[in-house]
Amino acid sequence: MSLLRPKAPRSREKRLDTLGAWLGTVSVASKEFAGDEIPQRIRTFAQSSNDDLLYALRILAGIRDSVTIIHGPRGCAAAGLHHIASRRNNTHWIVTNLDERDTIMGADGKLRKSVVALYRRYHPSVVFIVGNPVIAINNDDIQSVVEELHEELGLSIVPVYVTGFSSQNAVSGYDTALHSLLKYLTGEASAIEKNESLNLLSVAEHPQDRKEAQHLLEELGITLNVFPDDSTIDVFRLAVAARASIPLCPDAPEYLGAILQQKYKVPLLDVSRPVGIEGTGRWLKSIATLLGKEDTAEELHSGKAAEIARQLGSFSLKGVKVYISLSSANAFSVLDLVEELGGEIAGLTLTHLDRLHIRHLDELAARNPSLQIHVSDGQAFEEISILRTLTPDLYLGDSTHVAQVARLGIPAVSLESLALVGYSGVVRLARRIKIALANHSYGDSLAKVNSPYKDAWFRRSHNWHIKQEVK
Amino acid sequence: MPHYLEGSRNSCALHGALQLFEAIEGVVPVIHSTAGCGVQYYLGGTRMSGGNDPFGSPPVSSSNIGQKHVVFGGGSRLREQLKNTVKVVQGDLYAIVTGCSTEMVGDDIPAMAREGRDQDWPVIYANTPGFSGDVHHGYHLAVKALIEQLPDIWKKPEEFPSGLVNIWGIIPNQDPFWRGNLQELGRLLEGIGLVPNLLLGSEQSVASWQQIPGAVLNLVLSPWGELPARLLEERYATSSIILDGLPIGTATSTLLRRLTEQLKLDTIRTEAFIAREDSRLNFQFARLADSYYRAGFQREFTLVGESAQVVGIAEFLGTSFGLLPRTLILTDNPPDSVRQRLVTRLAAIVSGYDSEVIFSEDRSEISDIIRSSEAQLILGSSLEREVSVELGIPFLALSFPLADRIVLERSYAGYRGATTLLEDIGTALLAFSREYHLC
Repeated sequence: MSLLRPKAPRSREKRLDTLGAWLGTVSVASKEFAGDEIPQRIRTFAQSSNDDLLYALRILAGIRDSVTIIHGPRGCAAAGLHHIASRRNNTHWIVTNLDERDTIMGADGKLRKSVVALYRRYHPSVVFIVGNPVIAINNDDIQSVVEELHEELGLSIVPVYVTGFSSQNAVSGYDTALHSLLKYLTGEASAIEKNESLNLLSVAEHPQDRKEAQHLLEELGITLNVFPDDSTIDVFRLAVAARASIPLCPDAPEYLGAILQQKYKVPLLDVSRPVGIEGTGRWLKSIATLLGKEDTAEELHSGKAAEIARQLGSFSLKGVKVYISLSSANAFSVLDLVEELGGEIAGLTLTHLDRLHIRHLDELAARNPSLQIHVSDGQAFEEISILRTLTPDLYLGDSTHVAQVARLGIPAVSLESLALVGYSGVVRLARRIKIALANHSYGDSLAKVNSPYKDAWFRRSHNWHIKQEVK
Repeated sequence: MPHYLEGSRNSCALHGALQLFEAIEGVVPVIHSTAGCGVQYYLGGTRMSGGNDPFGSPPVSSSNIGQKHVVFGGGSRLREQLKNTVKVVQGDLYAIVTGCSTEMVGDDIPAMAREGRDQDWPVIYANTPGFSGDVHHGYHLAVKALIEQLPDIWKKPEEFPSGLVNIWGIIPNQDPFWRGNLQELGRLLEGIGLVPNLLLGSEQSVASWQQIPGAVLNLVLSPWGELPARLLEERYATSSIILDGLPIGTATSTLLRRLTEQLKLDTIRTEAFIAREDSRLNFQFARLADSYYRAGFQREFTLVGESAQVVGIAEFLGTSFGLLPRTLILTDNPPDSVRQRLVTRLAAIVSGYDSEVIFSEDRSEISDIIRSSEAQLILGSSLEREVSVELGIPFLALSFPLADRIVLERSYAGYRGATTLLEDIGTALLAFSREYHLC
């Protein structure tokens, strides 16, 4: 029990030495992560970036038949509109609408009333109570509301203790949400018999990506528990008795997989994203090996690979310098895909870098030691400065500042709503790239708009504002 | 004690201040808060009003305070952030806005702004914690900061254009058509010989805000514009005309005549202008009449939006276009002092027909009201699309949040905005009829 006893897990920087600010070559990164001490970096100038609250909401948005109560002031629920507009589920987004008085007197009474009223109105299978800076600073007593009302209403109530400030890396918010989901929804592991199903861990994935992965595994004849994206809370109880867990991404669901492995003895496969022809093949084969279905996987892979090769025809990125700016594990996979398509990597921006990425860093350092890695979430000013120097032919990114990058006149493809997983993802990406490279006219129009930044900034080194943290 | 809210369309004061500052060219907001505040604003504000992203990204400067600052204070972090913002980001004015965390910690924001000004940086500040109120409160805080602090930075201009009119109460993004609406109002004021001071949108910069003291009049177009008008009356003795909402269609002529009378303008010029605009709108009505009768445009509607939009649109559709306002839902929490006035006015738009007037910002409550309203057309935000599909009723998204429309310069105000509104409502009704083979 001890693993899940705390209210929230340790932050990624404490657990995995995660960096949110860094710039250098991949060989230096690889050396730094070979050491024991990795100093944290901070920025002396910063731009808005995701926090643990926003990442936690991404996960909660995927749980069916749920009510999400953000116990805070209005603005902490603003992203709810984004999730409603995405129309991916029927989550009800609630904010307790704390005012100044509540920040002084506390507001557990308000929270209690909200939970009871929403329970009566919707009879959801689960209610999430989500923290935020106000609640964290005030140390509001969410826990006793959870315990009392769970008892009184017989309702699953899951508190998610995100704070908005205790970790510099938003990805910690995935861990905090998953910690709470596991703690409150798995029940007694011993009560469930081991089964032959596999867990497909899908955290904040594009729905089409999740379905693509699911279809591939089903073609291998595998029974799956797909979660937490678009799942019911019952899946958590099944998951702890599964035969093994396969992550759709080694990064976002890492904590989920690790706890299932350590606490419930469900082995976690260590494998990169199923992105690209070979990447998807490796992912399938690693699962098939576990199940003794190597032949079926090989057959499936070679059939699909041949079909994709036929669809790609003469498409090639030969001679095209590509800049990649993505969440970390995604970036490493897209890098492989770009190289598979014959492209050249101009540089990388990763949302964070930590011990989970050591294998990728070492491999890259051997292959392309001088490749520049920039670690940043939302720090567009640094990226723009880097891109002006590197002048890539194509930008692949999923950040909220793709539109600012496009003002440099660099052809850009946003991967935020492009499903990349599996064999078909290769064809989708190739088509988008082909179109982006075929007509630069919109980028040329955008390039006529002034940059938000001063020329003086562009004369500084890109990492001018990244400093080692003084403890 | 306010109730909890589901799917609220009114975000917090910080976000309200951000949308005001981002609507002025050359103003750079400097957020002093946790990292996510700016992204929340981007996801729940900027992206919900497609076509309103000035920087191509979330706000460009944010101190992103961490645990250390929550414990020991974030003043030094703000000092550093402000200094570097001035060095990195182009701007004519830097506006510090705060979030809940830094206000709870008690950072001394005025002192930081003063330090900046001592360095000759153009810096203002507004204390905008989310817990202090909603976006409309944020609009007030930001406007107040500009009115009160700009004179400390720049001397009052020597000369002002004559016939200058400040326009207040149109809130960027909360009115998705704010740019176009301001431009149309500007065109109308110019048409009768006045000089509009739009303050927000294209070509509106700090220079526009420096002109404020020289205006002959404040034109207030929503309850939210009353506060700035009052502040200016106190400071500069500027008089005001206060409307509850946007003038749309023929209501525009009433406003233009009132302005002409109050400011003693050339009546002949005004009447000639009105006659031209009126006759043009009348021809528009005539040209769509065949579609109107054939596809049964005349119907009872429900309208969901901010009070300024509801007043303008409901009165135009009710008094010139033959539609019946069944249920009017005002989502902006107007101050208690104006509620009764709004109810009295809106309930009796069409004589002999009672319209239901409701104040609500809760998505589920609004959906329930729509379900029971038996309306035949829903005009609302993207949040009402779902219930319109459920009920099988034609729908047009025209209030915040607009998740699935791009609005650049489209207007639903004045004469030209009336024409556009007719086009959009007509299109929605025809598309619906086609889909269901009704005509």
